[in-house]
Amino acid sequence: MTMDRRTVLGVGGAIAAGAMVAPGLRLIAAPAPKGADAGARWAMLIDVSKCGDDCTDCTTACATENNIPQIEDESRQIQYIRKITIKDKTGKKPDQSLPVLCNHCENPPCVDVCPTTASFIRPDGLVLVDKHRCIGCRYCMIACPYKARSLVYHENTTAAEQLNREVPIRAKGVVEKCSFCVHRIDKGEQPACVEACDKKSGAMLFGDINDPESEISKKLASVNSRTIRDDLGLKPHVHYTNL
Amino acid sequence: MISKFTSIQGNSREYYTLLMSLMALAGIGILTFFYIEVNGHGVTGMNNKVVWGLPHIFAISLLVMASGALNLASMATVFAHNHFKQFRRFSAFLSIALLVGGLMVLVLDLGRPERMLLTMVHMNFKSMFTWNVFLYSGFVVLCFFYLWAMMSNEKFVKLSGSAAFAGRVILTTGTGSIFGVIHAREVFHSAITAPTFIAVSLTSGTAICALLLVYTYRKTKRQLDDKLIFGMRNMLLFFTLMVFYLMAVEKFTKSYSPSFYEVETWLLTGPWAWLYWGGIVIIGLLTPLYILSHKTWGSDINGIMVAAIAAIIGEVSFVAHTLLAGQTYPFNPFPGYEVSSSFQDGSVGNYVPAMPELLLGLGGVAVAGLIYVLGIKFFRLLPKKGEAPESWTPWNP
Ligand code: SF4
Ligand code: SF4
Repeated sequence: MTMDRRTVLGVGGAIAAGAMVAPGLRLIAAPAPKGADAGARWAMLIDVSKCGDDCTDCTTACATENNIPQIEDESRQIQYIRKITIKDKTGKKPDQSLPVLCNHCENPPCVDVCPTTASFIRPDGLVLVDKHRCIGCRYCMIACPYKARSLVYHENTTAAEQLNREVPIRAKGVVEKCSFCVHRIDKGEQPACVEACDKKSGAMLFGDINDPESEISKKLASVNSRTIRDDLGLKPHVHYTNL
Repeated sequence: MISKFTSIQGNSREYYTLLMSLMALAGIGILTFFYIEVNGHGVTGMNNKVVWGLPHIFAISLLVMASGALNLASMATVFAHNHFKQFRRFSAFLSIALLVGGLMVLVLDLGRPERMLLTMVHMNFKSMFTWNVFLYSGFVVLCFFYLWAMMSNEKFVKLSGSAAFAGRVILTTGTGSIFGVIHAREVFHSAITAPTFIAVSLTSGTAICALLLVYTYRKTKRQLDDKLIFGMRNMLLFFTLMVFYLMAVEKFTKSYSPSFYEVETWLLTGPWAWLYWGGIVIIGLLTPLYILSHKTWGSDINGIMVAAIAAIIGEVSFVAHTLLAGQTYPFNPFPGYEVSSSFQDGSVGNYVPAMPELLLGLGGVAVAGLIYVLGIKFFRLLPKKGEAPESWTPWNP
């Protein structure tokens, strides 16, 4: 049995050509993000000297606020914010414990590499993930220098009444990360971690650095602060002092 | 000089057994895909540190090999190496087969494969992935065009063949750049990553062509002039030296830069170093170099086959080592400090591939195999007799 090779090649070629040309025909811009204040630039300042070694109030508050289920397997636990212990290799400085979260970089490599623009940057500088658009390619996880992203490995089985309805439940197969609690910011509130920390040690300060009158702007102007891996030129928006 | 192109008979028991086995394997791959889709990536061995596991190793190896498989055709069309003109169709077709197999695994391993079309709707032209979507589909189109020209319209062969050649160089650069452009990962970030991928694609692509040609001609009891395989042996030898050279240059350059000491030490002595020394250096480079330049083994078709298999193992090891060593490297957002956390900061990432990943990957290999096996039956891809001119004597060790 033989097939008409010309027909088969023609059809195959046409399908392939279609697949190649189609993308160019469908350039649809992402919908304009709602609720973002283009004049604002949200940032955080963390005073490491106030952060307790074994305090995890911020991480706990974050998990509750953002519907993050706690699973047994640490390597697959979703972490928006995590506590890191750092040890000075020369032994001159004492060990320190500090929270690390998405830095909402001004030049975010995660957004650069995302093929579907599921990772995007809002006009107010928040870097967010659209869970409906993420195809789960995980390229952003490879590209983020702060390891701020997690893949959802399992379906979230938390009981409905324990869920925060303001925050979307992420289904398995997508990537998620800290949003600076965008739903709270849009209501004029502070991120959940900041609120929780305030009750204990007040190590976290959150606000608009574009507003010279904000507490964070004044503080940043008066203290010595640094960001993590500033050598990469990403302009992170989480600043640390007393580090 | 070229005897008539014919399709193979493909009605022996052996042919059907091979066909059935490949179909079964592809079927298992598809079922595994549904299994992962329903249960989530929790059934794989991946975690939040190693997010690209075995399926990516399969996929990227197939894609890299696909681009290299076109080399035989390019030799004839672009470099006027006319003895290989008779294998142009085979070479272009094999490229498509391998590419489809690789892409299938890549797409089916997405967290949300059903949304694949989104990449076409919401494009981000800054993303290397978006570029690769174009490069892969574009390459398939070029190969089809080339095949069509070879079969029906010789006039366009030079044009389509040259375009496909350029396409493959760009394609592999794109694949290598997925890693090369990542600033945040010391292991990946390098301008030489892409050229090394190209060299590796040339070795593995030539190796798979040689293997399949010898195998196909033997099984169908057709004649293949040994000189043709010797010519391919010489190409393989040359390309292997090229990989060797590029890897040596990279190591040499990096050994001059103290900022790379730590990561280079990790690559050469870390938990995945066995892939480097065993898979890449010993099996992938030294073995083929030794066999192919050996006086008797290098002139023995079976010896060349062994070297070709070693080159392919070397390629897969190269991809696996790049991916796994790159991702398991202890992540440290605070250079100069020792870090630890419950999120594996500062610790070596662990990864043990799980069965579904293996089955999904093998499914892709099976699909590539199926396309080839069906292709040689339904299309006239190969000449009945593989002939080389009397006057041509390829260099012999
Ligand atoms: S910290 Fe990572 S995830 Fe957050 S914006 Fe920067 S690159 Fe993206
Ligand atoms: S995993 Fe999702 S968010 Fe990340 S790069 Fe891929 S599509 Fe974008």
